[in-house]
This record gives sequence, C-alpha cells and structure tokens, in this order.
Amino acid sequence: MEPLTWTGAVGAFLNPVLGIAVTLLVVALIAQLVLGLFASPTTLQANPDGTLAASGGILGKIETAMKYLFLAVIALILVYLIAPLVLPYGMVGIIGEMSQRFLPVWIALIVTFTISIIYKRRLGLYGKLFDSTVGMIGFGLVMFWVFTALFVSVFDLIATHDYLTQVSGLKNKAPGVAVPDGTAGDIPHYLLGGDNLARDIFSRMVSGSTFVIAIAPLATIFAFMVGITLGLPAGYYGGLLDTILSFVANLILAFPVILLFYLLVTPEIVQTGIPSYMAAFLFVFPLIFFGVLLNSRYYTQPQKRTAILVPVLGILGWLYLSVINQKGTVIDFLPAWFDLFDITILVVFVSVVFVNAPTVFRIVRGLTLDLRTRDYVAAAQTRGEGAWYIMLWEILPNARGPLIVDFCLRIGYTTILLGTLGFFGLGLSSESPDWGSTINEGRKLLLIFAHPALPPAVALLSLVLGLNLLADGLREESLKD
Amino acid sequence: MGLFILRRFGVMILTAFCLTFIVFWLTNLGPNLEKLAKTQGNARMSDDAVVSWLANRGYSQPLPIKYGQWLGVLPGYVIDGTDGEVRARCAGPGEAVEEASTFCGILQGDWGFSTVAKDNVSAVLPGRLANTGKLMGWVMLVMVPGALIVGVLAGMREGSRTDRTLSTASIVTTATPEYVSGVLFISLFATGTFGMQWFKGTASSAVENATFENFFLPVMTIALYGMGYIARMTRASMAEVMTAQYIRTARLKGVSFPKIVLKHALRNALIAPFTVIMLQIPWLLSGVVIVETLFTYQGFGWELVRAASNNDIEMLLGVSVISVFVVLMTQLISDIGYVYLNPRIRIS
Amino acid sequence: MTQTNKPMHPAAVMYAAEEKAGKLSRREFLARATSLGLTATAAYGLLGMTTPAKADGHAQQGGTLRMQMEVRALKDPRTYDWTQIAYYTNGWLEYLVEYNNDGSFAPMLLESWEVNDDATIYTLNVRPGVKWNDGSDFTAEDVARNIEGWCDKNVEGNSMAGRFAVLIDEATGKAIEGGIEVVDATTVKLNLPASDISLIAGMADYPAAITPADFDPENMLGNPVGTGPYKPESLEVGVKGVLVRNEDHDWWGYAAGKGAYLDRVEFIDYGTDPSAWVAAAAADEVDMFYETVGDFVDVVEGIGWERSEIASAATIVIRPNQLAEVDGMKPYADKRVRQAIAMAVDNAVCLELGYANRGEPARNQHVGPMHPAWADVPGLPYDPEGALALLTEAGMADFEMEITSIDDDWRKNTTDAVAAQLRDAGFKVKRTIIPGSTFWNDWTKYPFSSTNWNHRPLDTQILGLAYRSGEAWNEAGFANAEFDALLAEANSLADADARREVMAKLQAIMTDEGVTIQPYWRSLYRHAKPGLVGWDMHIAYLPQIYKMAFAA
Repeated sequence: MEPLTWTGAVGAFLNPVLGIAVTLLVVALIAQLVLGLFASPTTLQANPDGTLAASGGILGKIETAMKYLFLAVIALILVYLIAPLVLPYGMVGIIGEMSQRFLPVWIALIVTFTISIIYKRRLGLYGKLFDSTVGMIGFGLVMFWVFTALFVSVFDLIATHDYLTQVSGLKNKAPGVAVPDGTAGDIPHYLLGGDNLARDIFSRMVSGSTFVIAIAPLATIFAFMVGITLGLPAGYYGGLLDTILSFVANLILAFPVILLFYLLVTPEIVQTGIPSYMAAFLFVFPLIFFGVLLNSRYYTQPQKRTAILVPVLGILGWLYLSVINQKGTVIDFLPAWFDLFDITILVVFVSVVFVNAPTVFRIVRGLTLDLRTRDYVAAAQTRGEGAWYIMLWEILPNARGPLIVDFCLRIGYTTILLGTLGFFGLGLSSESPDWGSTINEGRKLLLIFAHPALPPAVALLSLVLGLNLLADGLREESLKD
Repeated sequence: MGLFILRRFGVMILTAFCLTFIVFWLTNLGPNLEKLAKTQGNARMSDDAVVSWLANRGYSQPLPIKYGQWLGVLPGYVIDGTDGEVRARCAGPGEAVEEASTFCGILQGDWGFSTVAKDNVSAVLPGRLANTGKLMGWVMLVMVPGALIVGVLAGMREGSRTDRTLSTASIVTTATPEYVSGVLFISLFATGTFGMQWFKGTASSAVENATFENFFLPVMTIALYGMGYIARMTRASMAEVMTAQYIRTARLKGVSFPKIVLKHALRNALIAPFTVIMLQIPWLLSGVVIVETLFTYQGFGWELVRAASNNDIEMLLGVSVISVFVVLMTQLISDIGYVYLNPRIRIS
Repeated sequence: MTQTNKPMHPAAVMYAAEEKAGKLSRREFLARATSLGLTATAAYGLLGMTTPAKADGHAQQGGTLRMQMEVRALKDPRTYDWTQIAYYTNGWLEYLVEYNNDGSFAPMLLESWEVNDDATIYTLNVRPGVKWNDGSDFTAEDVARNIEGWCDKNVEGNSMAGRFAVLIDEATGKAIEGGIEVVDATTVKLNLPASDISLIAGMADYPAAITPADFDPENMLGNPVGTGPYKPESLEVGVKGVLVRNEDHDWWGYAAGKGAYLDRVEFIDYGTDPSAWVAAAAADEVDMFYETVGDFVDVVEGIGWERSEIASAATIVIRPNQLAEVDGMKPYADKRVRQAIAMAVDNAVCLELGYANRGEPARNQHVGPMHPAWADVPGLPYDPEGALALLTEAGMADFEMEITSIDDDWRKNTTDAVAAQLRDAGFKVKRTIIPGSTFWNDWTKYPFSSTNWNHRPLDTQILGLAYRSGEAWNEAGFANAEFDALLAEANSLADADARREVMAKLQAIMTDEGVTIQPYWRSLYRHAKPGLVGWDMHIAYLPQIYKMAFAA
C-alpha cells in the first residue's frame, strides 16, 4: 500500500485554490480590524424601503469581500469533506478519509441542527441558542464530540483500528502510513500515524472522546447535585448552617488541588478506603436531591408521591450501590450479580467531584441569597409552602440561567483538570486513550515527533472551546429574556 | 472595618488549623509513611526495616501527639532507637540530643524539617516563594495590562467585529490549558524543529538570573491562560458601562469617542476586573504548579510537587499554610479593594 | 598501578588458558582474574597482551563540568539506593576497589588483595600514603571498621549486608567473631566460614563508599571528611549540587597519576522528564547527561552531542508472582499459565517498542551471553495460539491479569508492549500504572509487574538475589528446591566451563517454569557535548568523576 498524503490526488488542484482564498480572507480580516479601530462608528440609517444601509466606504467594500471569501472557503472545505463520499478510497487523502470516517457524526449533526432550527421557537432556551452564531458553533463542536463518543463506544464506528493494538514497525510513523499486511483494521492506513507504542493515533483520539465525554459531564453533574443540595439551604436559611457549610467549602477551596490529588490518588490510599467512603458520601447527594425534589412536590398527594418516589429512589439506590461497591475495596458487600458495573477510575472521579462541588456550592448559595428576597418567594411562603418546595421549585428554576452557563464552563474545566491529572501521571491507566494522558505521552517526544501529541491536544482544545462558546451563547440568549 | 479584618484573620487561622490537620492525617496514613520510609531509607527496604525506621524517627506515635508536637504544644519526642542511636525531634543535624529544646513546633516558630530537602522548612520555603513571586510578578505585568487592553477594546463597541475577534481569541486562550500551550511553545520556540529557536525550554537558570530568553515562555504560558478570563470580565464590564446613561449623555454632548472611553468609561469599567484579578491569583497557583514542573523552575509549585511525591510531611504542612494564607488574603484584598474602588459603596 | 609481589592465584592462570581457548570472554576473564587479586596489567599480561592505553591521555587540567543529574538527598552510603547519590559523594568518599567497563577490578584505596584457593580467606593490602582530608592516615582499622559497618543488619536499608551476607552472624545481625581481622596497619584479613567469590565485586559497588571514623550520616555536608580530591561546596536537593577541588588536601591519586582534572563539578537537576534535559542541553545549561534513555538517544544526537554506549546486562523483568493471591486463588501458581504468558510475548517486539531496539533480545532466563558461564539454552517459542490453548487448558482463559508498572518511559512502554501482545493472543489484561514515588512500596508483592535490574558481573549473582527461594528480592515468588541446589552448586564452581553445565540446567528451569519475561538486555547510553574525555557511560553506573576532563 502507498502511504496516504494529506489531501490526496484531489488536493493537487484544490489546495492552491483554498490557499489563495484563505490568505485573502486573513488579509481582509486584518485590514478590517485595523481600519475598524480608526473608523468612526457606523451610523445605521433606515432606507425608505425598510432596509438598513450598510456601512460605506472602504470598510464596507472589505466587508462585502470578506463575506464572499468566507463563503468560498466554506464551500471549498465542504468539497474536501463531501468528495470522499463519491470518490474511491484515498483520492482525497487523509483529510478525505477522516471525513469519511466521521460520516455518521456529520449525518447526526445535520439532523440535530435541522430539527432544532425548524422547531427552535418551541424549544425554550435550547431553541434560542440557534439565534446566536457563537452558540451554534459551540453547540456544533460539543455535539461533534458527543456524537463521536457515542458512535465509537456504542456502535463501534469511526475508529479504524483497535486503540490498544500495537503493530510492529509503525512506531512513531508519520500520518497516512500504510500498515503491514494482515494488520489492517477497517482501512489499511494509520490516518494520523502511529504513536510511541505503534498504536493508531486517530483511533486513540476518537476513543479518547468516550472517556472525556463520559467522565467530565457526569462528574460535573454530581458536583452540581452536591453543590445545589447544600447551597440552597445555606443561602435560604443562612445562620449557623451557612457559616459552617461556607467554612468547609472555603477549606476545600484553599486546598491546593494538585496536593489533594497526590494525597488521594495513590494506589495504597485506595486500599485504606478513604476514596470509597468519600464516594459513598458524595454520591448519596443525587438520591437526597431527587428524593427531596419529588417529596416536596407531591407530599400533599401521598399516593402519587409513593408511586413516583419508590421506583425513582429504587433505581437510583441500585445505581448508587453499584457505583460505590467495588471489588477489592473496603466497600464490597454486594453479590456480583447485583453489582451493575465497576467504575475503574472511581478515585479520579471522586476527587474531581470533590474539588468542583464547593465552587458550585458558592454559586448556588449566592444566587439563593439574592433570590430569596423576591416577591414570588414571599408569595409562596404566604401560601404556606414548605421550605424545600420553595427552594427546589421556586428558587432553583429561577437560578437556572447562570447555573446552566456555569455547567457548560465547568465541564470544560473538568476536562482540563482530568488532563492535568494525566500530566502528573496520577490516577488513570497508562494505556488509557484519554486526551490528557495521550498529550502527556506525546509531549515527551515532542522534540522529534510532533504528530502524536497534536491530535489529542487539538481535540481537547476544540471541545473546551466549544463548551466555552456554548456557555457564551447561552449567557447571551438567557440575558435577552 | 478593623473588626471585619480581625474576624477574617481569625477565620484564616482556623482554616489553616483544620487544613493542616487534614494534611497531617493524610500524610501520616500507613501507606504514605511507608512511602516516606522507602524514599528516605532505601527503596528496596524490607518490611521489618520500614517498621523500625519509622519507630526510631517518631512516626509511629499516635496521630494527635505527633500533631501536637508539630504545633509545639507537646514536647518533641526523644527516642532511643533500636539501632542504638538516640534521636530527638528538636535536634537538628549535627546537634547533640541533650542540647535540643523541649518544644519545637509552629508556636515556637519552628516549621519543622523537610525530609527531602534535608533542611529546615523555614530555610527552604521562603526562597521558593520568592522565585514564584518573581514569576507571578512578571505574569501580572504581562497579563493584567494585556487583558485590560483587550477587554476594553472589545467592550467599547459591543458586537463589532473587533469585539467578536478579540472575544473569540480570549475564549481560545482560556480553552488552552497550560500543559497544552506550554508544550506547544517549547516545541515551537525552544527547539530547532521549526527553525525558531528563540527561547530556552527550561527556566531553572532564571532562578538566579532571569532573562528574556529563559523567562519568556513560562511567563507567557501562564499569562495567556489567565488573560482570556480577565479580558472577558473586562469586556462585559466595559460593555455594561458603555450603555450607561452618563455615557449616552456625554455622546449626545458631542464628546469624541476616544475621550469618552478614556475619561468617562474606563474608571468605572475597571472595578469588576480588579476583584477578578485578585481572585484569579489562587487559581493561577495550580497553573504555576504545571508550568514550574514543565520548565523546571524551582518555585513554590515545584516544591509542592516534590514534597507531595515524596510525602515530605512538614514541607507539605508549610505549603498548605501558605496556600491558605494566599487564598484568604486575596479574598480579603478583593473585598476591601472593591469597597474602596466603588464610589457607590462608601463606608460612613 | 602497583603490582603485587605475591604468587599468582592458581585459578587466574587457569582462566587465562580458558580465555585463550575461547571458552571465556575477555570481559569475564578480566573480571574473574582481577577479583582474585591480579592487577589489570598482570591479567592482560597473562593473556600475553599489554593494558590498553587510556583514552584520557590528553586531558586538560581544570575547568567546570556541568552535568545533568537528579540531585538526591545524602544518607548513609550503606543505604544508597540511587547511584546518583554516590556520584555526588564520590567527590570525597572513595572506594576500596573499582569495577571497570572492560570487566576488570582495579585497586583504589586497597593497593592489592589476595584470595586463597577456595575463596575463604581474603587478604586486603591497604594502599600506603593515603590520607583523610582532615590530615589523619588511612589505615587497616578504617577498612575493618567499614566492613563491620557493611555487615550490620540492624541499620535499616543497609544493602551492603546482602553483599556481605557470608560474613554475617544470623543471631546478632553483625559480623561474625573473628571474621574481620586486622593483621597490621596495612593489612586486613577476612576469614569466611564458606567460600564466596563475589566479595571484591561487592566492595566495588556504589554503596561501598569508605567513611571516616566519626561518620555522621545526618550531617555529611557539615563535616565532609573523606579521602577524595573534592569537597562539597553546596547541595540543594532537587536543584543543584556542587563539588570543588579540595585545595588543602593532598589526594593520593595525584601521586599515582589518577587524574581529578576538573576544578569544579556541578550536578544540576532537571527532574525525571528527559525532554527537560534535552531542553537544558539545547539551552547550553549542561555539558553532559547522567544517562540517556530510549528514544532520546536520537534527540540528543540531533543537537550535536557525542554518544557513549555500553552493552550491559541491565534489563527489565515482567514477572507474575507465583504466591500472589487474586480473588482468593493463586493464578500464577500454575506452570501452564506462566508458560502461556511467556509464549504469547515476542521479546523482539518488546525491545522495539519498549526500548527503541537499543539492546539485544533475551530469552527470559536472566542470564545472558555477557555472563561468563552462560549456556546456549533455547527459550520457549513465540506461539500465541499455543499460548491461548495452554491458558485455556489451565482453565484461566477468563481470568483478567492485572499488569502493574512504574510510571516512566521505557519500563512503562515495555510493560505496555507485553500487555498488548498478551491481549492480541486472546488473554484478558488490565494495565495499572503506579507513580515512581509509591511503586517501590510493594514491588515484590504485585501479582504481575515489571522491575528493572542493573548489571551484575557474574551469572549467578542475579539468580541468587532474585530467584532463590525465600530471598527478600524474590519478586517472582519462585521457590524450587532443585533450582536452589543447582545454584549452590554453581556458586562453588570457580571454573566457568564446569559451571556452564550447571547453568544450562538452571537456565532450563527458568525457561521451563516460565518464571518471568525478561525480554531484552539494554545498552546504556550517555551523551556529552564534544570536547570532553573520560566520561564514558559506566556499565554499572558507578561514579568515576576523577576520570572526567575537558580535552586539551
């Protein structure tokens, strides 16, 4: 097999065109930025036909030029992405084959966006996201990785090779290298080359997304459950409860994160059971949260309450026991058939929740302090509603805006934090394809081989960037209320 | 005000007390003590030797007693070891056991002995802090003005393309963790791979003599990550100020745009970023840990990693006390500063 | 070098004959002959050769050498677990004997030594004219006191006790009565209850630094009394250690023409990450590395540094522990399981992926061609299908093996390569990685893990340390009476040919029992910038600072 080039045969004439278009676009963008700093502010004038006049002069011309250039670049990129679907294997090189591999993701993204844009008026805050370009880009990036993770883990698509298989002779080989006979996975090439242990970088990158997409949001959700369950009463009641909880939160926040990880994530500390007890403590909060949430809503209708609470708490309880119960640790009492799953990286997971929860607590507490003086709270109190009902069904929904925004940002931070753990070699298995570990692996040989470190770095960057943009879009749109 | 500050200091001491106890407890867990014995004694020491090593050096005493000794409320141990040597907590290297004082703890001003550095914590830590101070000073010098300029430029015309571009750029920098940007910088600018070997990839020579060559990359790595966040805060604050009534009045009066920005908007727009910058400092500490490790710069973060990986108990306690101090001090300064900067809040 | 006037050890003459007949490698001949008391010159003379000229003839006096090295805290030399510590203390604490890359043992603080025919009496002749840097004389008393110290088992972490086990009284944990005898001011006699040919090798090892009478391990810097040419100027652990010439001290080596050319040696710590070292090299902050590993050999050569390479018996073993219990059973107690593991792994692939092909594939026997009495015993064939069949036959096909390793470059990569191959063969494998700081807590007890082993001069040394029943470092949990008996027999055979027959049996047992995967022998590398001499990588990482110099 011939090794693949980046853009294959098609690239021979498409590349120069794209190059020119991108150069012009960049030049125009810089010119516009520079000119924009000196130009007087645009005054919008309504024309008699109801349209608005665009800014004139040289700035206006650049604006128009940019619009077309931008469209041209997009169109060219689309050619790279779509062409491989009709052309034979390898014609559009590595880029084309990667696009081909991501086909299910593209389809899923197009479907999601089409449906969402059609029905955006009925979809509340989520729908409004599609009014903001920034929000849409962010959402697109995030969903790209979510779908990738989904298709890789559930349907076993996208990845071309097994992410752990080492093929002799492919160590640190450049992108597009052909694999020896008999070792081909779905395709006979390593699209992004081989890493230090001769594994396929492309497959590792896409498989890594499952780890990040599974752990980061889940850990963030748990942190939010803990933060909300404690932050609401602290803000609502105030007093001694608030003082104590705030003190504890500040205590954890004052703890240097790295030191905490070093102390918790060593294998023998796991043997002492501290992480298991912490897990048992922290993961009980979702149970409390949902229990109180439903109870406060339906306690006037005991029958309905029981009908809802029992199955919900039953399932949650089972999940809870399965999560905290781990073979070989101090908490190991469930029979194997009852234990649904073992989280292999429980320690990492617990630690991440533990460091994130206090910040969430502080945000929720601050919001509650603000919201409890509102009229609708007073109204509910006058109606004789219980304290928990007011907190969970009156205050919390009204605090959702900032919380959702923070949630998106925090997933990003958690992703970065997991990478930091990988950087210090704590917690995760060495073969794990998660991006933090692979960046750390690749960084060691960065001086001679740049290709193993860059794909996971770009992936991590794009996901965190997407989350930040999404948060920005959400903030903008929620402020428009 | 005085009472407020006094109360904050009380909380600080209480926090430090609780935190050091937790650190003390965690570092004194069996496995961590074994780790200590093996790193200090011999990596391939037998289990019996570990037990007697620990007993001879006072690590096998009950936890509260050890903590009391560290605090200085209990007399330091004097142990007649199984190997025939007498060891006392308060006797430093080369000091006779009989001449050692009875108490030696924090209350006596003795921060203990670092098992890794083989020196007193109080002799090692200030130097490390000074190094980190130097690093952070330069980071602040680069980051704060840069972030404020970007933020103000972006915020003065909200929604313009300048705003969009600068905002996106600041989001990109916040989305690039230090371990990614630092690695990229080193491969780009500190190796010959791309023909741009302008800087040095290590900063350990910067400890003694910081130059543009050896200090630029670590400073930029931290500054970039922190910059985006402050810039976005400044932008938001600036954008809000620009829509305020008095700005509109000034514009209607025909004051030129640059003058409005510089004379009227700027001061009010900078109140919020000030608090953010102060609160940013403890957050930057974890970045400092990564960057100091990456560039082998012997500062506070580097010491933390070294102490943590070797279970250097008394050094870790010193590190925790300092980090509590930094976190709570910056909170206090940001609270006080907010009050003084904001003309709407005046203490009578 | 001083020639001993005593009669030549009979075995040495026999070895020379063997060497000439091609039965003994030159390295082994030198190792064995010099350990029996011959000088290297005499040993080469037996072969009818002259000692090769030293390469450092054109060394320049003076200069400051900056060396990248982990700067570790000092402690009692007997408890040294890192050769880096010895590098620093070697400035003022010297050794009785020195082991060299060509396999010979050269006298240092000893002038010469004789070993009787059955290696039960060692006569050590102390070099006259050696002075401590506080002005007092170095005498036989000093040698005797140090050997007594090595034999003190009550000092925690004293690894010299293992090397001198033959001299230790089990009951008291101290040296046996009458074992160490000071004959006169320059002669010490060791009377062993059993023969042991490895004592001289033990004296050359890095924890065997000779310390003064009132030595205080807690205060080594405050009172740096020693015999060496340098003294410590400063030491900041993890940052930097500086040695400077001790101007007030008349080192014995000046008169003997030994060197100590450099005026100042700086050891600078750049952490454990090799890319930081390379960055330091590129920034011209160091002149030389301590050791270059794996892929970084190419990187450093890319910036124009020179290479020093030595093939050694340093290696890694990835072994199941036969005594380890997992889920209430002992998965690796079954020989078939262990054989299956060995058959599923291609050692050449481990070398390629784990150590960038910088070494020689090995046969899982932990004895190799560089050892004198190595026998050419074939290893198990590479046969993944057969391996899975064997594993299934043992009923362990569903068992998930957890393979543990330390978190560092080549050890981790090699273990990953083993794990991947086992997985390819159809085994169920889980990889666990433990940071270097805690890895050694349980290194002998992990059910299945990897450990690195350094070079040992003699073939029986490692087998005795790591595979004899009940040894403290027997990490494989291997207990085999036949093996122990054969090993004892091999240890009493001075003749390499005679021993080779026994070694063949020992190696066959290692293979047949599938004791461990020992995939390759490492070559060791060091790099320095051009213009240095006498800085060769040492086969056993021993510090020989006095040889280093800038080229004239």
